[in-house]
Amino acid sequence: MATTLSRHDVVRRSAGRTSYRFGSPLRRSQRIAGYVFIGPTFALFLAFVLWPILYTAYLSLTSWGGFGSPRFVHFDNYSRMLHDPVARRALIVTLVLTGVTTAILTFLGLVTAVLVNVIWSKVGVVVRTILFIPGIVSFVVSAVLWKLIYDPNIGTLNRLLGAIGLDSLQHPWLADHKTVLPAIVVVTVWGGLGFNMLIYFAGLQSIDPNLYEAAAMDGANTVQQFRHITVPSLRIVTGLIVSLGLLNGFKAFDVIFVMTGGGPNHGSEVLGTYLYSLAFGSTSGSIPQLGYASAFSVVTMVLCTLAVIAQLWLTRRADR
Amino acid sequence: MRTKWIGKSFATFVLLPFCLLMAFPFVWMLLTSLREQNTIFNGPIIPRKFTGVAYKNAWTSIDFPLHFWNSVWITSVTVIGVLIFATLSGYAFAKLDFPFRNTLFVLLLTTLMMPSTALIIPLYLELKSLGLLDSQAGLLVLYISGSAPFAMFLMRAFFQTLPDELIEAARVDGGSELTIFRRVILPLTRPGIATVVIFQFLSTWNEFLIANTVLRNTDALPLQPVLFTLMGQYSTNWPALTAGLTLSVVPVVIVYVRMQRQFVAGMMLGAVKN
Repeated sequence: MATTLSRHDVVRRSAGRTSYRFGSPLRRSQRIAGYVFIGPTFALFLAFVLWPILYTAYLSLTSWGGFGSPRFVHFDNYSRMLHDPVARRALIVTLVLTGVTTAILTFLGLVTAVLVNVIWSKVGVVVRTILFIPGIVSFVVSAVLWKLIYDPNIGTLNRLLGAIGLDSLQHPWLADHKTVLPAIVVVTVWGGLGFNMLIYFAGLQSIDPNLYEAAAMDGANTVQQFRHITVPSLRIVTGLIVSLGLLNGFKAFDVIFVMTGGGPNHGSEVLGTYLYSLAFGSTSGSIPQLGYASAFSVVTMVLCTLAVIAQLWLTRRADR
Repeated sequence: MRTKWIGKSFATFVLLPFCLLMAFPFVWMLLTSLREQNTIFNGPIIPRKFTGVAYKNAWTSIDFPLHFWNSVWITSVTVIGVLIFATLSGYAFAKLDFPFRNTLFVLLLTTLMMPSTALIIPLYLELKSLGLLDSQAGLLVLYISGSAPFAMFLMRAFFQTLPDELIEAARVDGGSELTIFRRVILPLTRPGIATVVIFQFLSTWNEFLIANTVLRNTDALPLQPVLFTLMGQYSTNWPALTAGLTLSVVPVVIVYVRMQRQFVAGMMLGAVKN
């Protein structure tokens, strides 16, 4: 084996140096294989990812009900967005929900990971599994489950409150403007915590234990160790968790669509649910507003791109 | 040593109640599904009598086997399709040398994060003009093309861990690129393939938005949209509703528990490379 390798190295190196411009048979077959191997994926990508992105960007500049051809209207859809109270509310709710859930998920993810990391490892395995299971069931399942919990008449939450004598706190949780958003945050955190905990946990495991020993020798207490070793070591992980949190927030749809449908009275409307009802929600029998809805697609894509850029930026700063 | 013990006890003390809280919705789901319908309004919180009649109701009234089979079929085809596309292209991007490799890779990467929420309108219109609306074939095309880039990204990370010498030795021995890929590379990437399989299984099984939008023909629907309609129909028959949820979750939990290790390993790799 060793001889084959070294003999081969010589062949390859000389071939690479001398005949690169003419393309040696080895290189040519690699080039062909390269294009053949990526070809199918790339074709699908062009047809069902890149084209839709460009098409929706174009549609966002038109007015179209789905029949005939789209009418070009420049940036009318975007200026309409600025004057549409529901659109403004949807944008604000999206940003607020995203910010709050990301902050809670990042904080709780770190706290639970630290706790799981110090616990007896056998208990830790069980805890990790329990915390993670909510993240592997579908959003539909978790949304329906929580809808049952929040149900005003026979919901679990109100029944439990009644059972312990706190009837005064019983509430139509999803039907009230004030409580519907916190209720959604709870569901999102419930579903997303396990993932963040697991990533933080892996991050904690990769920190060199000698660092802590050295710090302890120098007389640093637990809190100081946490601040000066743990937190800086987890910078890249935190960047990842924050940006994934932002992405998930900006694209939020399933849980809200199933639990509230954006209600009550647009109280929990986000960009995703609003664009969906504009394009597909024929409940009012109105004509689909594909152009206007596409403008929300574009806004969502811009926000997601910003989240990715934010992550790159956070990671680069961590490298310094 | 003593401080360590205190730390562990403290962590347990905080985590155990928290775990109970996190598990509560599932416990409640099971309890409700085993309840008798007439006890959901005013019966005791923990039912005195358990019955499996709700499972029978859920099973027959929405034709559960049909939709379950639809989900199994759609998920299997998607997993296999994604696997074929992703291993081939992931390998090419990791190990083959061809012009514009990096440009093409960056192009695929930049669109990786585009959510289906934002693309649902053009995708719907595209399927409509291709005549694939309301067919599982159309749904499969969207699932495979939407997931292949991310799976490619994961597989590329796995292929990069293999030494170049291996491939070059095989080339010198005269293997064609396809033979090398099949005989030398694929057998070594079992862990990577396992990771893609479980990721893809979970995300396809759980997908709701696209399925609910492009399929209107009830018989073709996978489970998730059906569970959603079930919620509307059975707004008061909670035992049947929760029984349906429980049945839909069983495969997911089984797969997760059996493949937990690959899942966690793959997540770490994905996370680190991201």
